Amino acid sequence: MGTVLEAEGLLVGYAGAPVCGEVTASVDAGEVLGIVGVNGAGKSTVARTIAGRQASLAGDVKVHGLLIDPDAVPFRRQVSAVFDDDLFFPSLTVREHLLLIARGHSLDDPEGRVEEELEFFGLLGRSHAIPDALSSGQRRRLLLAAGLIRPSSLLILDEPEQRLDPRMRVALGERISEHAKDGGAVVLVTHDPQLLLATASTCLVIDDEVQQFDPEQGASIIAGS
Amino acid sequence: MLTVSPSTQDRELAAAIVRFTRRSSRRYKRSRTSWADRFVDAYSWGLGIGVSLTIAASFVLALRNEIADRASTTTSIIHAQWLVLPEAVLWTSVTFAVLLVISNLARKLGPMTVNGPESSWWLTLPVDRRPMVLPPFLRKVALTAAGSAIIYLPFSLVTTVDRAPSDHLLASLSFSAAGTIAVALAAMQQLRLLGHRVGRVASAAVLLACSTVPALSSSFWPTALVGIAAVGLLALVVPRAGQVRGEELVRGGAVAGHAGASLFMLDSNEVLRALGGGRKTVDGGRAARFYARPAHGPLRALIRADVVAFLRLNPPLTPPLLWLAACIAILLVEGGLPEFAQLAVIVIAGCATASGLGSVARKTALVPELDALLPLHPALVRTSRTLMPCLAMAVWMAVLSSLLLVLGAADPWLIAVGAIAGVGMGAGTLRAATRTPPDWTAPPVETPFGPVPRAQLGSLMRGLDVTILAMIPLLVALYLGYVPLLVVMVQAVFSVGIFLVVVLTRPKRS
Repeated sequence: MGTVLEAEGLLVGYAGAPVCGEVTASVDAGEVLGIVGVNGAGKSTVARTIAGRQASLAGDVKVHGLLIDPDAVPFRRQVSAVFDDDLFFPSLTVREHLLLIARGHSLDDPEGRVEEELEFFGLLGRSHAIPDALSSGQRRRLLLAAGLIRPSSLLILDEPEQRLDPRMRVALGERISEHAKDGGAVVLVTHDPQLLLATASTCLVIDDEVQQFDPEQGASIIAGS
Repeated sequence: MLTVSPSTQDRELAAAIVRFTRRSSRRYKRSRTSWADRFVDAYSWGLGIGVSLTIAASFVLALRNEIADRASTTTSIIHAQWLVLPEAVLWTSVTFAVLLVISNLARKLGPMTVNGPESSWWLTLPVDRRPMVLPPFLRKVALTAAGSAIIYLPFSLVTTVDRAPSDHLLASLSFSAAGTIAVALAAMQQLRLLGHRVGRVASAAVLLACSTVPALSSSFWPTALVGIAAVGLLALVVPRAGQVRGEELVRGGAVAGHAGASLFMLDSNEVLRALGGGRKTVDGGRAARFYARPAHGPLRALIRADVVAFLRLNPPLTPPLLWLAACIAILLVEGGLPEFAQLAVIVIAGCATASGLGSVARKTALVPELDALLPLHPALVRTSRTLMPCLAMAVWMAVLSSLLLVLGAADPWLIAVGAIAGVGMGAGTLRAATRTPPDWTAPPVETPFGPVPRAQLGSLMRGLDVTILAMIPLLVALYLGYVPLLVVMVQAVFSVGIFLVVVLTRPKRS
């Protein structure tokens, strides 16, 4: 299985000022890279830069050996990213949002796939509700469903455990592992030691100096021990 | 880098996605709105637009008659018209200025955009973006063209009274095409077909040429030429609409959304915040060096911080200079304008310039906790915040008064009156910055002239009221043609009074 993501000397930050040390990492197909660190360390900034949502200060990020370009159709086809963007079409229902993604990615039987995701994320009963009528946890599930319904070789998740109940967190962990088992690569930013242990193959600790550890050490760092 | 090569299949899929989203949204909205509501909306809009158009038309006709009769009745606030500006030059300059405003606004607002939900749910799809971006862009172009034609028609009627009706129509169509060119040029900059600097210079040059066309309305060909140029530029832009970078689409959408919502709420502070958001603030390190110098005591520290903030937010010099030029041009125009029109232009220029200097006050008004950071009385905090706008406005008004003096508007005391008026006008910027959104639920107040929405007017005019009030003694002096001592004293009382009222009044919080 080949390398999906390579970051070489990646420096991320705002207005020319880096928020953390240089990131050098690679993720192969079937691997889950956990990213952990204290609040404000720069985990989400690293994830956003890898996803092409903001420009890097220095260094390169490559997906399948090609420099990232979020405006390129092949990049959008390969990379699925879920951030905490609470942005929805105000008059589209939950089902219609997922149908939009399913059709946009030319899935076979989009309606069937939408039903499966609605069931998995416990949204069947709310499938005809508009986003404003959902709780924040349900909106989070909708975002995750939109990120997972579509095929991708690189899945980037920024603190996906936020606002989820414990049962859903466990189910999400299984889903991430399944994605990796099917040959996908995952970048997972998390504050949840259990989710990290359940899914990650390696772990980056973001700080002034970025270091690579195994998931057990990463979980200890999150737990503060 | 990965490159985009949109296929026909991609484009069809993107169009289907857009249709699906729009159809679902429409279905939902229809299910939430009754026919009665729609009728009431249509009736209110129709009535509002009809009344506005009637008022505008009667105003335009009255002004046209006034200008037509001016030869026999003209008086001016200046006595030494040592330079006569041909009317055609003035109106062409105004046309050019408006085209530049359209071009700058188009660039700030995109012109190609996606809104928040579209950026999250559409831009991430692996399809060609043109069907997502193009229809709203074409709507903007059509609206700009229609709006330009509608705006130019009364302008043409007022400024060239001897034109035939068909010439007015041709002039409007020419300006409409010029407005379209302004938007198309902004789109070319967004597409990076034109670099930043080259784009600005090229746009200015093209728009300068376009601004002369409405004056040539006696012939059909200039209008046809500028129309063909507009279509040609659009033909360059339209096929490339899907190539605008995602971050540019999102930026334009954010500014357009912010400005649109602020306009809908009639919140001028928010409109200025939205449009000034992306401006580069370059102070060349002067502000940092000034800030690094030691300051003793909290008041001095605060004043220094406010001065540095003022310099960093870098109010652009061009608009105040252009307003100065506009004031002088309107006085020097061939044939002269009525006195009230000359004074009105000076008031508008003063209000616009003062408004541009309120960036710091507008930004700090968003975070009221900032005022409590230092152990100072709130009145001192407000004094510190208003110092730089007062100083800048005093300088601007002194320059304007000096120019008016050179033109023989009054005696040298006018400069002092102008500078003192500037202090009051600068204080108005702080009052305007703390303007609260109008309470549309408050009932109108009965007056001898009928019901007046006093609460809403009070809210909308907050800040502007004292800025205009501070100019009244100066305007009286200009009208009289000399500066009586009483006017100097009244001006001092007005400006000091306004300054004190502004700094001693606790701002309303919404």
